[in-house]
Amino acid sequence: MSASQSAVRSRAEAVKVSRTFDWLILFTLFFVVLGGYHIHYMLTGGDWDFWTDWKDRRLWVTVAPIVSITFPAAVQAVLWWRYRLPFGAVVCILGLLLGEWVNRYLNFWGWTYFPVNFCFPSNLMPGAIVLDVVLMLSGSMTVTAVLGGMAWGLLFYPGNWPIMAPLHIPVEYNGMMMTLADLQGYHYVRTGTPEYIRMVEKGTLRTFGKDVAPVSAFFSAFVSILIYFLWHFFGKWFGGTSFTQSS
Amino acid sequence: MAATTESVRADAAEAPLLNKRNMFLGAALYVVFYGWVRWYEGVYGWSAGLDSFAPEFETYWMNFLYIEFVLEVSTAGILWGYIWKSRDRKVMSITPREELRRHMTHWTWLVMYGIAIYYGASYFTEQDGTWHQTIVRDTDFTPSHIIEFYLSYPIYIITGGACFLYAKTRLPTYQQGLHLQYMVAVLGPFMILPNVGLNEWGHTFWFMEELFVAPLHYGFVFFGWAALGVMGVVNTEVIAIAKLLKKDLA
Repeated sequence: MSASQSAVRSRAEAVKVSRTFDWLILFTLFFVVLGGYHIHYMLTGGDWDFWTDWKDRRLWVTVAPIVSITFPAAVQAVLWWRYRLPFGAVVCILGLLLGEWVNRYLNFWGWTYFPVNFCFPSNLMPGAIVLDVVLMLSGSMTVTAVLGGMAWGLLFYPGNWPIMAPLHIPVEYNGMMMTLADLQGYHYVRTGTPEYIRMVEKGTLRTFGKDVAPVSAFFSAFVSILIYFLWHFFGKWFGGTSFTQSS
Repeated sequence: MAATTESVRADAAEAPLLNKRNMFLGAALYVVFYGWVRWYEGVYGWSAGLDSFAPEFETYWMNFLYIEFVLEVSTAGILWGYIWKSRDRKVMSITPREELRRHMTHWTWLVMYGIAIYYGASYFTEQDGTWHQTIVRDTDFTPSHIIEFYLSYPIYIITGGACFLYAKTRLPTYQQGLHLQYMVAVLGPFMILPNVGLNEWGHTFWFMEELFVAPLHYGFVFFGWAALGVMGVVNTEVIAIAKLLKKDLA
């Protein structure tokens, strides 16, 4: 290759080529991250995300933020630290939510006939916006991990509350007390996931009923901070450009 | 004057930097094919896919599996073989414009990889969740697995392998060795397929129900992380393309 030759014929063409690459890169990055993030999330927190009768005040609130802060931290580590693009977390969540919504409509409802108001995904967008804004304003990985990570965990339940509140209303059914969400699960039988597999509301401090969700959210926030640190460095490694040397 | 005319003619006849037609046709191929696959699942999943001992299961599902095995091995052999066989043996002496054109073609492949990964890791994997949480399995080769594990995963593996091979055989950027993050981005998701062995072993011997967050599935998670290696590919490409365009954009 001769360094004196130009790859393009004019500045206008250079700009056009540059913009074309931007679109190609964004499309590919979006869908590859979507795929990796979605398979990660569905297999580490998926059951709580699939069904409303798994969306309890304890384990859903604890698990979902912890396992979902991973990819946003990693993608921020590249998009912000290399390109100063302040939307790493939001782009991850947009991808995840697109993958989930397409699936819940076309497959959960379209193939196995569960109503969408029984299997809609959790809302992770408030935490993602705050995570990106904290990084953009602070420019600090440590501040983002501590403040952003904490906000990520704490905002999860309030961010989903308007959607979930009607389904947590108690009802009496056949002499038993349950929530409307439980009742949905009771009527829409999932033979492959029997009731004994469902992990909700487990614990010894259930007498502190009203405190369950805040305690879980606070614990989740604490672990989210640690996970953010870890995945920031994962992201840095994955964004590397190293070659193994030919022997 | 004659030389100028010749140059203009050469420009007019020159292939475009990005062949958009190929890119949209490629994308349409995946989307239309998977649309047909989803239709097939919808029709024959419930009508012929519930009892693996039934004759119709053999007809509609096991035959589907055998056919896809043959087609996948043939496609991988022909595609990868062609890319390797037609490799550029003087890759370091191409013109900058040709290099730019090849980067565009490389990105056309990467766009296909994005689509293939989406269908494999997102669309058909979560679909597997709702199928197996609804239907009790009586075989490892369920309708959902025949599509997810043995169709959508091989397709993204074939596509990812084609991306990597194209870069390695035609782009000067990738001649200094093997790009570590690129290998991770392609080989990690590839390892999800062998990990099916662990999954089936576990489901066969001890856990017939479907709990998606069960530790039995963590192998898929670990290898799914490898998709992030695409960020390393992006960074490498940005450096290479910036070098090619730099003085014209400055």
